[in-house]
Amino acid sequence: MADEHDVNSSRKQKSPPDPSRRRFLKGVGIAGAGAALADHLAQTVEAEAAAVQAEAAKRPTSAALELTLEVNGRRRSVSVEPRTTLLNTLRNHLEPPLTGPKLVCDVGTCGACTVLMDGKPVYSCLMLAADAVGKKLTTVEGLGTPESPNAVQAAFVEKDALMCGFCTPGFVTTVSAYLKQNPNPTLAEVREACKGNFCRCGTYPRVFEAALAAAKSVKT
Amino acid sequence: MQQPAKKKKKIKVPRVVNGVDTLVEIEVDDEGGPVWGPNDKHALLNQRLTRVDGYVKVSGVAEYTHDKRLPGMLYGRVLRSPHAHARVLRVDASEARRIPGVKAVVGATDEEVVEGSNRASEEAEKKNRIDVGDAKPAKGETVVLFAGQPVAAVAATTPEIAEDALRAIRVEYEVLPHVVRAEDALKEGAPKVMPGDKDPNVEPRDKRGDPAKVSEAFKECDAIVEAEYRTPIIHHSSLETHGNVVDYRGGDEATVYASTQGTFTIPGDAAQELGLKESAVRAVVEHMGGGFGSKFGIGVEGMLACRLSKQAKAPVHLMLTRKDEFLLAGNRSGSWQKFKAGAKRDGTLVAFHATQYQLGGVGDGSQAGQPYIYAAANSYRDRASIHTHEDASRAMRAPGHPQASFAIESLMDELAYKLGIDPVEFRKKNLKDTVYHRQLDRAAREIGWERRNKAPGGGTGPLKRGMGCGIGTWGGGGGPQCKVDVTVARDGSVVVAVGTQDLGTGTRTYTRAIVAEEFGLQIKDVVERIGDSRLGAANSSGGSTTSASLAPAVKDAAVKTRLAVAERLSTLLGGAKPEEITFGVGGVSGGGKTLSWKQACAALPPAGVKGHGEWQSTLAASGVHGVCFAEVEVDVETGRVKPIKMVHVQDIGLPLNRLAVESQMNGGMIQSLGMVLWEGRVMDARLGLQLNPGFGDYKLPGALEMPELVPLIDDEDKREAVIGVGEPSIIPSVGALANAVYNACGVRVRELPITPDKILSGLMQERRGA
Repeated sequence: MADEHDVNSSRKQKSPPDPSRRRFLKGVGIAGAGAALADHLAQTVEAEAAAVQAEAAKRPTSAALELTLEVNGRRRSVSVEPRTTLLNTLRNHLEPPLTGPKLVCDVGTCGACTVLMDGKPVYSCLMLAADAVGKKLTTVEGLGTPESPNAVQAAFVEKDALMCGFCTPGFVTTVSAYLKQNPNPTLAEVREACKGNFCRCGTYPRVFEAALAAAKSVKT
Repeated sequence: MQQPAKKKKKIKVPRVVNGVDTLVEIEVDDEGGPVWGPNDKHALLNQRLTRVDGYVKVSGVAEYTHDKRLPGMLYGRVLRSPHAHARVLRVDASEARRIPGVKAVVGATDEEVVEGSNRASEEAEKKNRIDVGDAKPAKGETVVLFAGQPVAAVAATTPEIAEDALRAIRVEYEVLPHVVRAEDALKEGAPKVMPGDKDPNVEPRDKRGDPAKVSEAFKECDAIVEAEYRTPIIHHSSLETHGNVVDYRGGDEATVYASTQGTFTIPGDAAQELGLKESAVRAVVEHMGGGFGSKFGIGVEGMLACRLSKQAKAPVHLMLTRKDEFLLAGNRSGSWQKFKAGAKRDGTLVAFHATQYQLGGVGDGSQAGQPYIYAAANSYRDRASIHTHEDASRAMRAPGHPQASFAIESLMDELAYKLGIDPVEFRKKNLKDTVYHRQLDRAAREIGWERRNKAPGGGTGPLKRGMGCGIGTWGGGGGPQCKVDVTVARDGSVVVAVGTQDLGTGTRTYTRAIVAEEFGLQIKDVVERIGDSRLGAANSSGGSTTSASLAPAVKDAAVKTRLAVAERLSTLLGGAKPEEITFGVGGVSGGGKTLSWKQACAALPPAGVKGHGEWQSTLAASGVHGVCFAEVEVDVETGRVKPIKMVHVQDIGLPLNRLAVESQMNGGMIQSLGMVLWEGRVMDARLGLQLNPGFGDYKLPGALEMPELVPLIDDEDKREAVIGVGEPSIIPSVGALANAVYNACGVRVRELPITPDKILSGLMQERRGA
């Protein structure tokens, strides 16, 4: 641990990286891929990027942040690097951890990491933990328990809307939030609500059934 | 299918008749061993059972390998080669080691990384390991054979720091020429991928039939079709990536939490890497997030995790990243099939010639032999693998069958249309097995086959609907690996234990149900313990063999335990013989007396009663048939295909749980939908790199594309035996969808996926031709 403290103190002394420059280089990279930059230009950019990277490698990323997150109605203190995503904070740093939200793609394509932030579903792999401070967070664990599931969770079991179950926390969270917003959805609306979540086992038809059944059960 | 007449006997079993628990007399084969009884007379089996692990999964508390957290646990990451073919000259991890939080760095060798290809391993074994951690050049040499091949691995206190460490490792490569396209691999002078291949990159598999006879037979054909069909490499895309948490802190024992399809494939692999006795390594597979054929053995990622754990003396969590998963964790091999087939005017297939290439990268690939399920009077096939610089293919849900079925079902369709025969009738003409005829008729009725486009591409307006059909088969069957123990305690609690794994197929649920039914109990009255190598042995979940291997052993254990319990109760029940004592919802009865379950169990000895079960061949069967009909809508202005409806009819003997079987059938249809319309690895031939290693560019089926799905269990199959359904359910729909596209718009797309560009260029060619 001693050497980590040393690093932290040295981090504070270094000036932060220039965000505008980094963004510029990144932008050039993307444009370059599409427009096929002339070789010499590409080389120049690559060399500059390498220089920046080499500089950055010498510089420690940053010191740990002490954060307090409000998760499932509880205040949870945690110490993470600023770059740590909300998902990795929940899964790897909270003690005890919340591993209901799943790490599947880590780039916001699959929805398995969905959590609610002030009631709205967000991909927690695309958010930094630091940006979630002051928000009310709800993970799938906060929606219900095996002994006392919410209507959506109960309907998922009843309709067999899960197989391996790895996508299930994401779907349950998405659907639970959607039914609050629209308690009487059509099949087409349910499909639309679920379009940000992937399932590989192939449970979609039964996810739709479960969502519609849950909506019905809440009404009656 | 015909079986000799067997001796019969009558037995009384507890059954629900019209919702009432009743004892009914059934006739069963008298073979001495346990029997299932008629498929329509079960209290729990063949019913719609919600899964017993449902609530822990929907509430996020089910613990998958990825979720395992241990004190002092480190996170592992793998460094991949950025080159498709290169010699590793030097790996310098000294900078990486200096990063605070980095606790271990290890090198990978060819030996572990080229999985699925023994020849490459043998070749690689001659080469030395990379010397990681110092700045000296590698002592020997390591050659990477595909972009993504692991070169080193690190473990650190957080995944973020582990990523930093990967960036800090410097590797010097000597880049070698590569080849990633099958056509290029066949060219003269193409870089040689595998040392053993004769023809540049072709490895012969098998030849069957007499080509001379076949070419003679073409002379008597009224219609001949010559065509090439291709399918790309498909990714399993299990949502839980491959990986393990290796808990070894020094000492004599280790535990490996694994995302695997084979609990018992883990300890041996891990023990070897950790230098421990196999019996000292425990594997745990509590829940796992999908495998589809890709997760057997500990894998390169597991071996690296073992070495990292050993070096750091701490538990290491090494789950592959999504990009790793695309580049190095296996795939469904691509296919390239060249057919020439001829039929008589009446639809009889008389000549068939096939060249089948399986495209499995540095692996072998797989493909069912043609003409698959069809009978041709004269047929010849030549199968071979073409090797490229891509990761090795692995088994994927019905290995080789969707590829073969797509090609032959497309060809059958082409011949039928050419001869002007109803595609269903044409198939029947060439299928000897009448189960297919029955299933074709049922699925055709269900979807309304008569509504199909009478002339492909006919109809007005830009949105054109069409229908197609396809057929598949699978073996499945069981084996004697499973050892099951059932314990009844004095308080009436029942535990069934076996080390098997539940991939999401519902293993836990039917394991409980079989035991509960035997004792006339409810599902909730039984607890299953699975996913642990310290429990009774079990087979790996491959080839749809889990249920056919496991269920008979569970039944055997349940029957033996029931008889053992009954024996203890004999004196309380008027001296009734154990086999005469019945167990039902009403309690335990015999000799004119009835005890409640609690009363009965209270009479058991302090340790309760145990029964051990072994596989019973008579309780399992193999060989299934499946038929799928699909309806699609093609927008001929944009080329977009919208699936409308899919109907799948499948026989599987005794369905253990109808709800779970239907779910698996839905899953099969949906995965084939992806294969036909959207999925496929895209390689850059010049760079040798995959262009779509992520869900952003590799399109999986999603909520908006779902058609109406109709999974139909073929209850005409009266076999009182268990057969797996996982694999058969992905096969027939591939051809059905492709044929529906043709029926809708008149364009025959012979290369999957059927993307809009292929439809539009087909329509353009048609217009030019006209």
